[in-house]
Amino acid sequence: MIVAEQKPFEEIRRMITPYERVLILGCGTCMTVCDAGGEREVSFLHNALRLAQARSGDVAHTFSEYTLKRQCDPEFLELLPEKVADVDVVLSLGCGIGVQAIAESFPEMPVLPGVNTSFMGMTKESGVWDERCAACGDCRLEDTAGICPITRCTKGILNGPCAGTKKGKCEANKDMDCAWILIYQRLERLQQLDKMRRYYPPRNFRTIPRPRRIVTKAAVVTGEGDG
Amino acid sequence: MNVANKSYPEERLERSPDHSLVPPCQSACPLHMDIREYVGLVSQGKIMEALQVIRTGNPFPSICAYVCTHPCEDACRRSQVDKPIAIRALKRFAVEFGGDRLIGAEAETRHKEKVAIVGSGPAGLSCAYYLKKSGYPVTILEAHSELGGMLRIGIPQYRLPRDVLDIEVQRLTRMGVEIRTNTRVVSLDLLFELGYKAVFITIGAHQSLRMGIEGEESAGVIDGATFLREVNLGLKPSLGRRVAVVGGGNVAIDAARTAIRLGVKNVSILYRRSRAEMPAEPGEVEQALEEGIDIKYLVTPTRIKRENKRLTVTCIRMELGEPDESGRQRPVPIKDSEFVEELDTLIGAIGQAPQAPSDFGVRLGRGSTIQVDPGTLTTNRAGVFAGGDAVTGPATVTEALAAGRLAAFRIDDYLRHRYPLPGKEDREKLSGDLLPETIEMIRKIERVEPPSLTVAARAKDFGTVELVYGWEQATNEARRCLRCGIGVEILFQDKCASCLTCLRACPYHVPYLDASGTVRIPADQCQACGICVAECPAKAIVLRKPFDRRQVTEELGHTVKSLAEAKNKPFIIGFGCQYGLFGTGSLARLWRGAKAGVWIVPVLCVAKVEATHLLAAFETGAEGVFIAGCGEQCARENTIYWVQQRVARVRKVLKPIGLEPERLQVFALGAAAEDPAAELDRFVEQVSALRLASVIMGEVKS
Repeated sequence: MIVAEQKPFEEIRRMITPYERVLILGCGTCMTVCDAGGEREVSFLHNALRLAQARSGDVAHTFSEYTLKRQCDPEFLELLPEKVADVDVVLSLGCGIGVQAIAESFPEMPVLPGVNTSFMGMTKESGVWDERCAACGDCRLEDTAGICPITRCTKGILNGPCAGTKKGKCEANKDMDCAWILIYQRLERLQQLDKMRRYYPPRNFRTIPRPRRIVTKAAVVTGEGDG
Repeated sequence: MNVANKSYPEERLERSPDHSLVPPCQSACPLHMDIREYVGLVSQGKIMEALQVIRTGNPFPSICAYVCTHPCEDACRRSQVDKPIAIRALKRFAVEFGGDRLIGAEAETRHKEKVAIVGSGPAGLSCAYYLKKSGYPVTILEAHSELGGMLRIGIPQYRLPRDVLDIEVQRLTRMGVEIRTNTRVVSLDLLFELGYKAVFITIGAHQSLRMGIEGEESAGVIDGATFLREVNLGLKPSLGRRVAVVGGGNVAIDAARTAIRLGVKNVSILYRRSRAEMPAEPGEVEQALEEGIDIKYLVTPTRIKRENKRLTVTCIRMELGEPDESGRQRPVPIKDSEFVEELDTLIGAIGQAPQAPSDFGVRLGRGSTIQVDPGTLTTNRAGVFAGGDAVTGPATVTEALAAGRLAAFRIDDYLRHRYPLPGKEDREKLSGDLLPETIEMIRKIERVEPPSLTVAARAKDFGTVELVYGWEQATNEARRCLRCGIGVEILFQDKCASCLTCLRACPYHVPYLDASGTVRIPADQCQACGICVAECPAKAIVLRKPFDRRQVTEELGHTVKSLAEAKNKPFIIGFGCQYGLFGTGSLARLWRGAKAGVWIVPVLCVAKVEATHLLAAFETGAEGVFIAGCGEQCARENTIYWVQQRVARVRKVLKPIGLEPERLQVFALGAAAEDPAAELDRFVEQVSALRLASVIMGEVKS
């Protein structure tokens, strides 16, 4: 899941300054799960912005709110036209993908990001999320016993541990487990310690061309058989 | 692309959860009363409203408040946690404090078909009440000089004060029910000749069963029903110094306790089985023991002999053998275990049967009871209905009231030529036990027993033994209710993001993932604390009003509407728990004596106050906002923890908005709580100081 956190309130207020009518748009998928932009947060932000406006005595904005099931698909965005017809800006509480999907679907409409999209991760406990994947495009979890050194090692090294590991913790953060010690322990449990002896050549991340695209559909000429 | 143009489901919010399971108390009640509802209202201190709910389901609530055998309490799921809710005592409280002694107005007569009711016990009175309400001319025919049947001549005054009964009877008179006392009906044909179109026979079960032993006809031996009737009609039979009552039912206990009140010092009960099999109400047995009545178990009399104006009663000891058809173990005499009791009076109270005159022409069944169709209460004679003890044999007042109501509805159907099919309960009944992990998390709260008269005072006269709750006792007892079946529902399954917040936040381990990976919140386990409703990031979970967020918003709206114009004091809004201490308990004075400028929004537990409510409170112009909850004394789990979470969230945005975070406070009662009144005072002072500071700042600027 994509994890984000809501932008600081001051920043959101600053961003909306030039616009009069603001639609606060939530996302019902990842942003709901990570507490950053679900319907509850949309209502919260709506109330807070209204309160801030009332306190400042400067009635510059009107607000409306709506939450889509998912912002990153054009079909869901088709539910919006009525809602965006009479607003000047969309304040999206979707992740960076959602914001861009809106920008693509509504060429004339300014869109603002309400959250800082942070990482791909999982819930550790209620209200706590941890990063787990860097989307590097070349998964090596087979070799590392299902524990990703790219995200979980501070240095992201592929042949660890480094000399900075101390009693299983990272030298950069004494509260954080050393990913390579975790990998070692799990490989040992799986009786695959030989994988520790291998050398993994360093990766050149610059070779990844951006933006990436994945195509799962095959190129088929419609109306023709292939026999 | 094919996308339906759906409108935002705002209007769907007006929908309430679909399910509403019938709680066990309600399904156990013969009258099917909405107990959960009125207990909930009592816990909020809404006594008038509670009484209104009680009145809707019960024609004579004050009678039930005294004498109901409360099968609801036996079914109460709270007994899986600690002890059941004291439902009857709460009803008594509502009846006494809610002003039930008011007498209703006359009911309009809309039909011409006259109905005769033979007998004026609880079934007859109830039938008359409902028939009259439906607009029929009703006549009650009563053999005795006063109405009430067993309520008057069977139940002793210490259990049902006669003024309570008189008021209920007056209610019927006021409604326009015709009453003929001292009128024994011997023939139904005569009634039909007099123009009655339907007859309800409710003659009770007044004929005492004989013990069937030698010497039963002797002077000094009387039967329980006759004894109670004489005492209740004002006679004072002379009993002598030693009295024994034979039997183990409520009549036996009533007779023994009545004897104590007539001044007899030595009263015993002879019962042939053991305490566990005793059909009498356990509470009544307990009170009898307190009053010094000696209950001799596994004993039965076999022979009575009268000598020198005294009774020599030979008894034999019993032991329990194989179970009989009633499921209870059959008592078997122990050989050569006879002993002799010297008594002045022996009261036989081993059961009663109805005695319908043969001229009624109704078919009788087992134990001389009148045979009826249980669904319609019709007898073998057209237009003749029967109910109450005459049909069931001796049973409870509440069952009789229910039978009377059923008879009224079926007589109405009969007279209007309607033929309804047997009704089916349209709402699902809640059954099954609470899960062990849920039980473990439910706070144990001691049951508050109503006060009762001292034992010494009871022996003096027929004063009511059980006294009524005080205000705080009643609300504290009522808030123990688990609100079975009222819980939350994932009303918007389409919005649920399966984030598992509810599953993680629920203190009672109620939500779970089903095999398909869908989150389920079983209504029969939910404790309706509201934590998941406020925490759900998709706002997919909804509680029923008045527990819902909509209620908090509405209450806030009412508060704002009632704000005074002058705002020279700091204007502060507090969300206060309506249950227990802050709402109706000892801390209620904080509100009632609250300083001008402090406005309270009552909420049904502070766990239901959401971050948006706090912001909305500030938006009304409040200079300070606080939440006042019961803390460690809350009946629910973890409530203050979640309140603190939401408060922290709001404080974070208050600062950039230009409001000091200390303008938002939580007051919770800890174990060693400081005086909450002083805390509140300090908060008011603090907010005043902030106000002053901002005024000065404003002047400096300008």
